[in-house]
Amino acid sequence: MEQTIISLNGRIDSNNAPKVEQEIFARLAGQEAGPVVLDAENLEYISSAGLRVILRLKKTHPDLSIVHVNSEVYEILDMTGFTEMMTVEKAYRVVSVEGCEEIGRGANGTIYRIDQDNVVKVYNNADALSDIQHEREVAKLALVLGIPTAISYDVVRVGASYGSVFELLNARSFSKILATEPEKMDWCVTEYVRMLKTIHGTLVPEGKLPDMKQTALDWARFLQAHLPEGPGRKLLAMVEAIPHDDHMIHGDYHTKNLELQNDEVLLIDMDTLSVGHPIFELAYMYNAFQGFSEMDHEIIKAFQGFDYETGAAFWRKSLAAYLGTNNQRKIREVEDKARILGYARMIRRSIRRHMTDTEAGRAEVAHWTEELLDLLERYDTLLFQPNELELEAVTENLEEVQSFVEDHLEASDCALKARTQIGVAVEEIFVNIANYAYHPQKGNATVRVEVSEKPVCVTITFLDHGVPYDPLAKDDPDVTLSAQERDIGGLGIFMTKQLMDDVAYTYKDGQNILTLKKNL
Amino acid sequence: MNGPGTIDLHMHTLLSDGTDTPEQVLQRVREAGMTLFSVTDHDSVQSSRLLPPLLLEGDPGFLPGVEFSCRDELGKYHILGYGYAPDGPAIGAVVEKGHGLRMKKVRARLAFLADAFGFSFPEAEVDALLSLNNPGKPHIGNLMVQHGYAPSKEEAIRNYIDKLRLPNEYIRPEEAIEGILQSGGIPVLAHPAYGSGDQLILGEEMDSRIRRLMDFGLQGLEAYYSGFTDKLRRQILSFAERYGLYVTAGSDYHGANKLVQLGDTGLSGAADYPAGLLRFLNAAHTRTIRR
Repeated sequence: MEQTIISLNGRIDSNNAPKVEQEIFARLAGQEAGPVVLDAENLEYISSAGLRVILRLKKTHPDLSIVHVNSEVYEILDMTGFTEMMTVEKAYRVVSVEGCEEIGRGANGTIYRIDQDNVVKVYNNADALSDIQHEREVAKLALVLGIPTAISYDVVRVGASYGSVFELLNARSFSKILATEPEKMDWCVTEYVRMLKTIHGTLVPEGKLPDMKQTALDWARFLQAHLPEGPGRKLLAMVEAIPHDDHMIHGDYHTKNLELQNDEVLLIDMDTLSVGHPIFELAYMYNAFQGFSEMDHEIIKAFQGFDYETGAAFWRKSLAAYLGTNNQRKIREVEDKARILGYARMIRRSIRRHMTDTEAGRAEVAHWTEELLDLLERYDTLLFQPNELELEAVTENLEEVQSFVEDHLEASDCALKARTQIGVAVEEIFVNIANYAYHPQKGNATVRVEVSEKPVCVTITFLDHGVPYDPLAKDDPDVTLSAQERDIGGLGIFMTKQLMDDVAYTYKDGQNILTLKKNL
Repeated sequence: MNGPGTIDLHMHTLLSDGTDTPEQVLQRVREAGMTLFSVTDHDSVQSSRLLPPLLLEGDPGFLPGVEFSCRDELGKYHILGYGYAPDGPAIGAVVEKGHGLRMKKVRARLAFLADAFGFSFPEAEVDALLSLNNPGKPHIGNLMVQHGYAPSKEEAIRNYIDKLRLPNEYIRPEEAIEGILQSGGIPVLAHPAYGSGDQLILGEEMDSRIRRLMDFGLQGLEAYYSGFTDKLRRQILSFAERYGLYVTAGSDYHGANKLVQLGDTGLSGAADYPAGLLRFLNAAHTRTIRR
């Protein structure tokens, strides 16, 4: 059915409401009750007499909408419930970002500071109203769930596209801080990781946010045609094996999207908010700080304002803090897993954007593909446990195991005495595995550290695939005998039992599993 | 639109600024199959004397009504009065005061128009104007249009009539409420969200208004009204519930002068009547006139 557009002009109040009403109904007389659009572009004000005209029109023409409504009229329509009963579209203020400082950039838009108190996020696509609505809703959701963020309060027109306006007073992005005050690197890392852990610790009600795993599956599927069959299938299987996770991920977590406002750290650019396993987030982070700039170190400078080395240092330090360890082996393992997804995403992006039309683009995709194939050969899973370290069971690695355990104890106010006792026990067990589990061959062992809060207690688990051996089955040595009379060996496990509150052994799935427990 | 058992407690006739005679309103109410109705002309209780003799057996119940335009330092209000004694001296005095003020104003306006712009009207037409129950700015405006002094009623009011500022002499809300109460009636605030018709009064402002009028003896709120959205209605119903006030329902039908349909109150059916409305109907029962 044909829609009728009627313009409203000036003021509508008790003086002219009857006349306006007669004019509207005269326009509609003799027509079927089709869609009616009231164009309020030139409507300055509406009183309740005017509202009643609209209400009566709504009764005779249920398919009624009002467009180009100025903010004063919109407020009246909102307060009185008209926005609940019909489509009311606001008129958009026009804002220019010419000469404005760019303070952030994400996948879907660029953020500019328009004055001291306000910033505008300009969306890349011209038809962004639904995106703006989406971002507003997810930002509200994040705020409700306890993530400090800014919520847009106005939608504006910027050139041919739309923007949403936020209040951001005297705020500085972490990128800017890193670029201008390098001595604040460690502080930035601490705050950046604190926020990251808050995000990843936030459970999102089901169905409220998109699942990042679906996106990653798209990447993996796209790459089937690009990668050799074996590695391609392996990649897809690895993504499929990532369990569903309802914890929040930001989806574009880099230092331009973290703002320091007064003393508060705010997360911005929320349109990519999703749920999923943290490895997805780490993949985006790797790309932002390293991946995109691997071949051309100028890219990060143009984007973040700091150089490639600063980006690499920030990424490494953040990952260490996030994982709670300085163990390079552990950090490398998680970084490698993040790189697998990161490369997958970048390769797909480059191909889809026809960036391979240029020599440089082809070189980049070739480099990423080579790295990806190498990684796929070395890893079988994208999952990681921050508190688990797998390494070769040789005595040379004892120190690394000790410091890995130490890292995790540091995070929990563990007393020095208990720490020393745990150190002794860890040494006894690991050296035992190194010496006997695979003898005369060599193999890997895994060390897992868990610190529980209530009761405060540390559990350290050692796993190896060596010959089944229960060290607890052996009788305790008779310590009353003299040194000459005693058996060699057996003393280490005896000491361990004395120092720990509980020591247990099982053999499961081809693994020796020895668990040490110490109450703190 | 009007199923069986509908009510409409806010309608106007020719006795004020409606276009139907009381007989015509009665006829429409019959056709709509209403069970209860009230005619609430501005500052006039004449309908409550004219209508009862017209009622036939089986007709809907008639509740005497009136709508007083009131004002004080804090704003404008329309106060409805229901079920009063039609010849009660207290309510009569309020009507007289309103009528007197109105006549005084009309005379002052006519004198001003003659004085300032040289607009004059034949004596017979002035007499006819003054003999109306409630002549006001629109009537003078119409007269000016008829005599070619202005192209439209709206422009007549804006460009000429409103140039005269009259001293603030009005019926105060406490006078109206007091008069209604003393004559055995129930005072109700008309369209609370719209003040005297063209304001927008919400939230705390509405709250303080209601509480002030309750101090004077207000007993009810017109929560069902043709010009209300669900949101406004919900807000008023919540005030009625909070303060234990009656709830009423009215369309503000004005005949051809407004496009409001008779019976359009936003009230769907008896099953949805809120407790405040049921209590009002109970209180109105003994004051309702039936054949």
